[in-house]
Amino acid sequence: MSASPTSLTIRMYNVGFGDCFLLSFKYANRSRHVLVDYGSTSAPKSTPKHGPKKYPTSYMSVVAEDIKRVCAGKLDAVVATHRHRDHVSGFSSDTGTGQVIATLSPGCVIQPWTEDPRAKASALSATSSIYTRGRPDHRKMTAHFLGALEDMHRAAESIQQLADRSDLAGSQTLEQLKFLGQDNVKNPSAVRNLLHMGQKSRAYYVNAGMRLNFLPGVRCTVLGPPALRQSDAIRNQRTRDPGEFWQFRSFWASQSRGLTRSTAFAKRRSVSKATAHGIPPPSVRWFVNQARQVHADQMLGLVRDLDDVMNNTSVILLLEAGRRKILLPGDAQIENWAYALSKPKWRRLLSDVNVYKVGHHGSRNATPKSLWDLFHRTGVVGKADRLETLCSTKSGKHGSARSGTEVPRRTLVADLRSRSTFTSTEELKDEFCYITDLAL
Amino acid sequence: MAYHPTRKLTIFALDPSVKSSNRILRTQIEIPNEPLEIGPRGYRAFIIDYDSSTDSYRDPAPVRQARESPQPPADPFEHSSDAALMASPEFHAFMAFGIVMKTLSRFEFALGRRLSWSFLSHQIQIAPHAFSDANAFYSDSAQGLFFGYFPSSDGKRLVYTCLSHEIVAHETTHALLDGLRERYTDPSSAQQAGFHEGFADIVALLSILSAPSIVEKVVDLGLPQARGGAIRRESVTVKGLRNSGLFGLAQEMGSELAGIHGHALRRSVKLSPGKNYLASGECEEAHSCGEVLVAAVLNAYLAIWVNRLRAIGDHTRLDRQRAAEEGTDVAHHLLSVCIRAIDYCPPTDIEFSDFASALLTVDAELNPDDTRYRLRDSLLQSFCSYGIAPTSKGAAHRQAGSWDPPPDTAQLVYDRTHFENMKSDPDELFRFVWENREAFRLHDQAHTRVLSVRPCIRIGRDGFTLRETVAEYHQTLKLFARELPRFGVTRPRGMSADTEVTLYGGNAVIFDEYGHVKYNIGKSILDRRRQSNRLTHLWKNGAFEPGAGKARAFSRLHLNRSTNWYRAIISPDYTTAQK
Repeated sequence: MSASPTSLTIRMYNVGFGDCFLLSFKYANRSRHVLVDYGSTSAPKSTPKHGPKKYPTSYMSVVAEDIKRVCAGKLDAVVATHRHRDHVSGFSSDTGTGQVIATLSPGCVIQPWTEDPRAKASALSATSSIYTRGRPDHRKMTAHFLGALEDMHRAAESIQQLADRSDLAGSQTLEQLKFLGQDNVKNPSAVRNLLHMGQKSRAYYVNAGMRLNFLPGVRCTVLGPPALRQSDAIRNQRTRDPGEFWQFRSFWASQSRGLTRSTAFAKRRSVSKATAHGIPPPSVRWFVNQARQVHADQMLGLVRDLDDVMNNTSVILLLEAGRRKILLPGDAQIENWAYALSKPKWRRLLSDVNVYKVGHHGSRNATPKSLWDLFHRTGVVGKADRLETLCSTKSGKHGSARSGTEVPRRTLVADLRSRSTFTSTEELKDEFCYITDLAL
Repeated sequence: MAYHPTRKLTIFALDPSVKSSNRILRTQIEIPNEPLEIGPRGYRAFIIDYDSSTDSYRDPAPVRQARESPQPPADPFEHSSDAALMASPEFHAFMAFGIVMKTLSRFEFALGRRLSWSFLSHQIQIAPHAFSDANAFYSDSAQGLFFGYFPSSDGKRLVYTCLSHEIVAHETTHALLDGLRERYTDPSSAQQAGFHEGFADIVALLSILSAPSIVEKVVDLGLPQARGGAIRRESVTVKGLRNSGLFGLAQEMGSELAGIHGHALRRSVKLSPGKNYLASGECEEAHSCGEVLVAAVLNAYLAIWVNRLRAIGDHTRLDRQRAAEEGTDVAHHLLSVCIRAIDYCPPTDIEFSDFASALLTVDAELNPDDTRYRLRDSLLQSFCSYGIAPTSKGAAHRQAGSWDPPPDTAQLVYDRTHFENMKSDPDELFRFVWENREAFRLHDQAHTRVLSVRPCIRIGRDGFTLRETVAEYHQTLKLFARELPRFGVTRPRGMSADTEVTLYGGNAVIFDEYGHVKYNIGKSILDRRRQSNRLTHLWKNGAFEPGAGKARAFSRLHLNRSTNWYRAIISPDYTTAQK
């Protein structure tokens, strides 16, 4: 029947630290193409043998051209799971790649509810109420949550600048600060381009539980992110207290103010002659170094936390075509997954997934154990219909092995490798793109 | 040469938002007198005005004194205007320094001995403008106290945490408590984390309530006055003080600083008595848990104060000034008892009920006659009303709820050790503990260490001196989770067999002036129920996850609290992380 696809080709591009997946569904008369994320914050480590010569320097435009070639000038859908740079930088018009995608006139653009411009129009100031007639109002809470995301962008920007101060901390900490800061800085050009593409065709701003019909014969269920009303329902008793939400909101508002405003008090300070050369008196040097380190650690904690919040705005899509299920969770971490995993119906739905795009480049929080344990197609080599896992990542950029937070997490990769057919972009030596075909 | 042990210093009584007749409410505190270096830099603390947000260091201006003056140094800020104080970095530095020194000397006064910081330095370093962030904390590794500043929510002015009496006293108490009981930052029950917060709040609140200007304000707000400044006797009630007085004050503190601490003043008044707080899920979080302890102590304070007010004045009226003096007097006395009680607390895995027993014991030791304050009755009643029943019931003919003397003192062997040495030498004390390991119920597989030996002299209210030696020993036992059942401890559900776990135990031993064991207060490492509960709590709260800290980091508390709401959708029933 022409209304259902007969096969699926998944392309996983090596974009270094980032995600870029092109799904091509083959129908009787044509193919339909879905681009899931297109961003990178760090170039691939190796130069592919069969790739274009200019790949190492302009890998993003090489990828754009390849997408254009494969989809023959037309994308049926674009999914931007969340607004992190490593997922959306390619949509930016600043570098030209965004225009290439725009010319492919995607049939629809799918983004999380946090990107909905209508929700933003009512964004409130950080001090306004979340109550309507004495009861917490989810519409107002949503606006406040979006306000908090904006504050996080601003905080990230300042933290990124802070990392330029080479004396602040050890090189590893600074690198982490810079990397995470950069990834969380607002990317207005990409955001604008995605908005325009959606306006020209159709924009979906999704939350858990929605069903999308953008491809004939493909069931698409949105498993995340939960809307605030949904996550509230599973929140533990204490934190349903609006005061707790308020703490979250005002914390980020205050961080954003504190980090972005140069203070009047600082201007009035006189720096002594001794410190004009950057050397405080001997009696305080040890403490100054400690204070710098403490400050850097604080900033790292802060940027890690806001990074988590942004990751958890990720769209989680489950595509069902023929007898196959493909799970695309973006960078969703355990807090986002918590809602889907609390639903027995969805747990059953997830149990026979065929292809799993490994969440958040292989971090430990993005593949909750309770999710991994649901998959029953896992098993040793040779198992029929064994689960295929695809991981787009680059090690040494995110987290640290010492604290068990490295991305990709060593123990998780070992598990993925032994119990599924695992492919990582880090292992692509000859090609800049890994291609897998599935009969549906 | 005249000897002046103390000097006076003007500070803000609470913080710049609390005013009276349009002027910021002030108080004059007494701090140890010493020839200060510019900074100020003194014998136990010094200010370093380094701001890591702007990476700028500010050379201190010379607010100093003549080294050999026959007079105590003048209070440098007594006559300055509010605007001048707010704009003066020297005042900021002196206020922070002053409160740190005042808090330290309050501890030393109560304990009858010098105190050490938990780190290897005699002087704690204080950054009064440490960074642009609504945060303030104590850091053991950086040997310092950090006070941030931040723009107010309307963006029009800066809020300085170093100008909040409550915050500076709170953070200083964390540092002092860490020096007294270094194992209280270990991962343990919610109550141990809550104790650090709650105790720091108690010390901060009672310090503030020792300031006459604050207590006068409480009296004015809480006890309606007739003409001529006299208070009508019938209006003197706990409810009156609680509802209008303190709550009014708490509202004035404003919401700016509320995110930093659990706004102890407000919460402790709002929290009505109830026996189930500690068992509820709410108290899994350190601040919420600590608030229950603060509420118990603060309500006892109000009860004692009202008792005193009922005993003075004539039948119809009492003098406003006198009422306030009683308030500061009770705060001062109760604060001493709270600080002394730390010596009578177990050195590891503390729970609020232990603190209750410690309070009752220490006060009974020092003030056998309690008719003036009826402090122990009020404490016992208030603690019980918040579901904190003392750990010890108290033997017959002794104070209810106080620790019992050890039952087996006859078995203790004193022959091979010398008490004179035991008063100061940890090795000598260790020999005593080791030789009596059966009586002390030491586990032979565990690592045992004497943490401290401290001789102290205290003056009781009866005028007699009490000489004691307080020693602490501590045991750690590192095991793999698979070994737990062998020790009778339940392995938390889901914990893998090769997970490494550490069990703690330890005692505070109080020797009387003859060198005999008077109290042996502690937690045996062999207590299976406690160890099982502790591990389950830690397991549930992610203490065994990769990256989880081995000790409590005060700098992260604020951040953790802000993300509480956000993280609370993870349920162990259906979401578990990877290892």
